[in-house]
Amino acid sequence: MNRVVPPDRLLLEADLAATAFRVGEIDGRWRLGMISWPHVIIAVTAPQRPNSPAEFAFRFECTGYRQLPVTAQPWDLRTNGPLPAKDWPTGRSIVPSIFRPEWREGRCLYLPCDRLSIEGHPGWITDHPSRLWDPKRGITCYLEQLHDLFHQGDYSGVRGA
Amino acid sequence: MPTKTIFIRSRELPAAIETEIVEAALVADLLEAIKHAGIAINADTAIFIDEAEVPHAMTPNLPATDLKRGSHVHVTKCKKIEVTINYLAETATHKFAPGARVRRVKAWAIDKFKLSAHDADEHVLQMCGTTRRPASDTPLNELTDGKTCAVCFDLVPEKRVEG
Repeated sequence: MNRVVPPDRLLLEADLAATAFRVGEIDGRWRLGMISWPHVIIAVTAPQRPNSPAEFAFRFECTGYRQLPVTAQPWDLRTNGPLPAKDWPTGRSIVPSIFRPEWREGRCLYLPCDRLSIEGHPGWITDHPSRLWDPKRGITCYLEQLHDLFHQGDYSGVRGA
Repeated sequence: MPTKTIFIRSRELPAAIETEIVEAALVADLLEAIKHAGIAINADTAIFIDEAEVPHAMTPNLPATDLKRGSHVHVTKCKKIEVTINYLAETATHKFAPGARVRRVKAWAIDKFKLSAHDADEHVLQMCGTTRRPASDTPLNELTDGKTCAVCFDLVPEKRVEG
């Protein structure tokens, strides 16, 4: 008997094979890790900083994709578990406002496109329209924000560096 | 025969198209790939590879130089894109290649308006009259309205996410 694949999973898999995602992969902006529905792990490239990695991995939880936003947790590929707070990225102003290990026990990023963080923040819809989840673009819009955050001069490396 | 992946991009396409092309491609191979992507080529069509400042030769039997794995091939009617940037009370304009990315425009604006490194980090380009802040890897050709070879940005402060 064939198992029915849920539509949110089908949509995610289609987006991970679509050109918008592939462009980022081949440009070296991000790379796809393991898919274990409803999770997918994707590592986003970061520029060189002292004692800091060349990429940060995130475990995205994708239930309801793409109508519902995803939520992303910084992930440690070595332990296949949550990234310790000392290894989270930081910076001078914008980056630390988004990468906050104390927010919801580090289970998500403080970004308007994040499903867990947008809850209870109706003001973000007008304050940060360019950072909202775009259901037409899906996970790529979240990845582009992460990549741009790392590649602006504000990013300084990991907290414990 | 070995091949490489390239991306064909045009205002005529809803999204970039990923395709394979022979490693030692001629312009004829590239033109065929563009036609196969559904883009009509005529006398006004220009092809730019990645962020090249000048259009690629269109002579079919010439090699498609500068075409590497992952190259972005921009098919456009625009030879240049005139970019207007507003910052506070100042306005500056500059012509960029169609494949130039938003990152390059911002770097030019930072230099033009003499922002400090600190201020540069906390400003982003926002398309005029909208709240759209395209990702820094977005090519300019995809931000035009498709009728004019022009793009307008405001250089605005990036707000911390708070609340």
